[in-house]
Amino acid sequence: MVFAHGFGCDQRMWRFVAPDFEVDHRVVLFDHVGSGHSEPSAYDPVKYGSLHGYASDVVEICRDLGLSDVVFVGHSVSAMMGVLALQQAPELFGALVMVGPNPRYVDDGDYVGGFTRSDIVGLLEALDSNHLGWSRQMASVIMGNPDRPELTEELTNSFCRTDPDIARQFARVTFLSDNRGDLPGVKVPTLILQCSDDVIAPDVVGTYVHGQIPGSVLTRLDAVGHCPHLSAPEETTAAIRAFLSG
Amino acid sequence: MDSTEAVGKDPRAQLDRLLEEDPADLYENAPCGYLSTLPDGRIVKVNATFCAWTGRPVDEVIGVRFQELLSVGGKVFHETHVRPLLRMQGAVREIALDVVRVDGSLLPCLVNAVEVRDEAGTPVLIRATLFEATARRRYERELLAAQRAAEESEARSRTLQRVVSDLAAAMSVEDVARVIVEHSRVALKARGAALMRVEASPDRRQEVPGLRALRVEGLSGGLLAALQEAASGQLVLELQRGVRSVPLDARLRSVQPALAGAMRAGGLSALVIVPVSADSRRLGVLVLGLGGESPGGLIDLDEPDTPRVVAPAEVELLWTLGRQAGQALERARLHEETARQAERAAFLLEAARLLAEASDVTETVERLAELAVAGLADLCVIDLVTEAGMTRPAARHRDPARQHLADQLRDRHLPQRQVTHPSARAVREGRTQWVRSVDEEFLAAVTSDERHLEVARALELACLISVPLVADGRRLGVVTLAADRWRRPFTAADVEVAEQLALQLALVVAKAQRYELDRRTSHTLQANLLPPSPPAVAGLSTAVRYLTATQGVEVGGDFYDLVPLHGEQVAVAVGDVVGHDITAAATMGQLTSVYRALLVDGPSPSAIIDRLQASWSLLGLQRMATALFCTLDAGTGQLRIASAGHLPPLLLVEGRAEFLPVRPHRMLGTPPSPAPAAEWAGVLPMGGTLVLFTDGLVESRSADIDLGLGHLRSAAVAAGTSDPDALCDHLLAELTGRHRADDIALLALTRLG
Repeated sequence: MVFAHGFGCDQRMWRFVAPDFEVDHRVVLFDHVGSGHSEPSAYDPVKYGSLHGYASDVVEICRDLGLSDVVFVGHSVSAMMGVLALQQAPELFGALVMVGPNPRYVDDGDYVGGFTRSDIVGLLEALDSNHLGWSRQMASVIMGNPDRPELTEELTNSFCRTDPDIARQFARVTFLSDNRGDLPGVKVPTLILQCSDDVIAPDVVGTYVHGQIPGSVLTRLDAVGHCPHLSAPEETTAAIRAFLSG
Repeated sequence: MDSTEAVGKDPRAQLDRLLEEDPADLYENAPCGYLSTLPDGRIVKVNATFCAWTGRPVDEVIGVRFQELLSVGGKVFHETHVRPLLRMQGAVREIALDVVRVDGSLLPCLVNAVEVRDEAGTPVLIRATLFEATARRRYERELLAAQRAAEESEARSRTLQRVVSDLAAAMSVEDVARVIVEHSRVALKARGAALMRVEASPDRRQEVPGLRALRVEGLSGGLLAALQEAASGQLVLELQRGVRSVPLDARLRSVQPALAGAMRAGGLSALVIVPVSADSRRLGVLVLGLGGESPGGLIDLDEPDTPRVVAPAEVELLWTLGRQAGQALERARLHEETARQAERAAFLLEAARLLAEASDVTETVERLAELAVAGLADLCVIDLVTEAGMTRPAARHRDPARQHLADQLRDRHLPQRQVTHPSARAVREGRTQWVRSVDEEFLAAVTSDERHLEVARALELACLISVPLVADGRRLGVVTLAADRWRRPFTAADVEVAEQLALQLALVVAKAQRYELDRRTSHTLQANLLPPSPPAVAGLSTAVRYLTATQGVEVGGDFYDLVPLHGEQVAVAVGDVVGHDITAAATMGQLTSVYRALLVDGPSPSAIIDRLQASWSLLGLQRMATALFCTLDAGTGQLRIASAGHLPPLLLVEGRAEFLPVRPHRMLGTPPSPAPAAEWAGVLPMGGTLVLFTDGLVESRSADIDLGLGHLRSAAVAAGTSDPDALCDHLLAELTGRHRADDIALLALTRLG
C-alpha cells in the first residue's frame, strides 16, 4: 500500500491510518518532492509544474521498490496523481483509494469544482501571508536535518512548513489542474472517500468523480472537513478495509 | 511617570484592587478574540471582543463552524494546514487568517490555537485566540508586494542581460530573431511570439511596406496572415505608437473580424505589438500572443476572455527589447551583407578564373552556370545568340532534384518565343531586367504555353535578374539568375554581381566567336588553296598529309605542292608561312599561286627562290615564309633541291635515312640576298624515298629542333617501309601526339622501279 499525502503537510498525515495496514500490507510512505523531508535540491520547477511530474515519482518509487498490485491511497491532489500514475504504468496498480479527490477545483460552466478564480487568488494570498517568516536558511535546517529533531522543535508549525516558492507552485499545480478527462481511463477498482462539509472537495465533486470512473465505489464519511485520516482515522481505516475486502 | 499623587497614599493597595478583575469580564472584553470549538470546528464559546470585531451577535456565532467564518483562502488553509497541525502537534501559532465580518468585509487576524485532549489523547476542544492584525498584514502585504516587484524587476533585468549577451553571440538575422522571440515569449509568458521585418514592397506599385516573418513560435500562419492584412496601411501608425496591446474585444471583432477569428482560434486574448527599431529607423515589429492556458497546462487565473493587462514595467521591458532587437538586426544584417560581399567577390574571382581558362564556349557557360547556382542563385540560365538564332547552352538548378525542370527550360522553352520574357527584353533593350517579385500574373505573361507555365510554377521562383551579354556593342546573349522563395530576395548588390559576371562572360564569348570565325575561315581558305590530293605520276608513288593544329584557333600557312611538268619532270614544294591566322593562310595561297605561275618557264629550284625573293615586295606579301623547292626526273631520278630557310628533306634508301645537306638560303620575304640561292643536286635511287615536311612534325614533341630531326630519322628507319602512305602514317603516329601546337604538312614520294 502506498500512501501519498496531499497539499499541505507531509507523510505524517497518515500516522493514524497507515500503521493499521502494516499487519497485512507492505506500507510505503513518502514525502512529495518539495514537501516534508524531501531533498530540497531535487525540486525541479519544470518537472513539478504539472501533476504528471509528481505521478512519475510515484511510478518510480513503485518500480524502485519492486512493488506490484499496489493499493494507491492518495489524499486530495494525490488522488489525481494516482490516476495519472495509473496511466503511466497500469501494470503496477491493483486498486485506487481517493480521499477527498477533486479533478478540477475551478468551476467551469455547469461543472462545480467549488472555487472561482478569485477564490484561488485569495488562497494564494493566504498562503503568502503564512509564509512571510520563512527563510531559506530555515528550509535547510528543517528539511536537511531530519535526524536532528532538536533543531525543528524550536520551530512552530514545523510539520507543514515548506519553501514558500515551492508551496506556491504546488498550490498552483494543485488548484489549477484539470484532470477530469483522465478519470474515465481508470480501470482498477476504485474507492472514493467523501467527507461531510469538505470545502476543498465538496460532495458534488465526489459524486462527479464517482460518475466518471466506471465501477468505482463512493463511500460517504461522517468525518467533517478535508482530512478524515486525521479527524476520523478509525472511520477512514474501516472504509478502506471494507473496500479492500469487498 | 508623574503618578504618585494621583494613585494615592497606598498605591500598592490600589493596584491590587484594580487587578481583582472579574474573570468573566476579562474573558469577554479581553483585547483579543477568544473562541472555543469542538474538534470539528463548531464554536461552543466565544467572547464579546470577537463578536464586536466581526459585528456578529453571539447567538449567530455559537454552533457555526469556525472555518465557515473564514475567507475562502482561509478555509482552505485551515483545512490543509491548521487542522492537521492541531492534530499532529497540538497547537498552532501566528496563523494568518481572514475572518469575514457580518458586512462581508475581512478582518485580518493572527490566530493561536491549542487542542485540548482527554486522557486517551482524543481531542475534545480547541481553544483559539485571535489578534487583529490589519495594520501588520497591510504592512506585510506591502512588503510582499515590494518583494515581488523587486523580484520581477530582477527577473526583467536578468532577461535583459541574457538577451544582451545572447544577442552579442547572434551572428545571423535568424539567430537574432530566435533570441528575441524566445526571451520575450518567456518574459511575458506569452503563448506565442513572432519577429517580423518590414520589407519594401517588391512590387513598386504598392506604397505599403510588407512584413516578413523572421521567426515564429506558437502563432498560427493564419494569425500572421490576418495580421499582415490588418497591418497594411496602419503599420506605420502602429509603429509610431510604441508598445501596443490589441485586446480581443468587441471593437476588434467588428473592425478586424479575420484577425479576431484567428486570435480566438489560437486561444489568444490579446496581441502585444512592439516596435523594433534602430537609430529611429523602424525595422519591424515583435508580436506577442497572450492568453489561454499558462505553461504546464494549468488553468489560467484570469477569467476567460479577460484580456491580460500588460504592466508598465513589462511595456518598458518590451520597448527595450524592441530597440535591442533593432540594433542586433542591423548588426546582423551588416554582418551578413559583409559575408555576402565576400561571397560575391569570391564568386566573381572564381568566375574570372574559370573564364580565363575557357577554351570552349559551351563548356564554359555550363561550368559558369554551375558556379552561379553553387552560391549566387537557385537557377541560372544562359542564352547565346548564334547564326542559328538564340540557343540555350546552359540551364542549371541548385537542387539536383529540380534539375529536370531546368532541363525542360533548356530543351523546350526558349525565351525568344515570348517577347515579354525578361531575358528576351534584356537582349532587345540591351539593359538588365530585374524582376523583384514573380507572381502568377508575371508567369502567365512570360510563358509560351500551359506546359511552360507548369514548369515555371514548379520552380517556385520569387525574383529574377536577366543581364544581356554585350561586347563591342553587339548583343551576344543573356544570363538569367533566379532565386526561389526560400532564398533571400536579390539585392542591388546581387544585380551588380550578375552584371559583372555578364560583362566577363560577354568578353569571353565575343573572343571565342571571333576565334571561331577566324579558325573556320582559315581552314576553309587553306583547304581550298591546297591541292586535294597529288596527281598520279608515272614512276612515282606519293602521299601527302596535312594536319591542323589542335590548340586554340591557330591555323598555319603550311603548304605542299606536287605538279607534273614536261616529260617526266615533277616539281615538288613544301613551305610554311609565318603566323597562324587568316593572313598566313592567305599569304600561303598567294605564294602557291605565284609559284605555280613561275613553273611555266621551268626554272630551277634556286631560280624559283631568287625570283620569289625579288618579287616578294611587289606581290605585297606581308609574311615571311620558309620553303623547299625540288625538281625530280621520275625517269632518271635526277633531283635538285633549293631551300629558303627550310628544314632539310630526309632521304630514305634501303633502310638508311639521312637529311640531304641542302644549304638553306634566306627565308622568303627577307631582303633579297646579293648572292643567288644555292642548290643541291643528286639522284634519288630506285626504291628511295624522299620525305619533305614542315617544322610542325619535328617540333611537336620537343622544342629542340635537332632532337626532333633525330626522332624523325629514327622513326623513318624504324618504319621499315618505302610505301609513302604507310610511312606517313607511321611518322605521324610516332612523332605527333593528340595535341599539336602547329600545323603539319608532310609529303613523301618513292621512286618506283
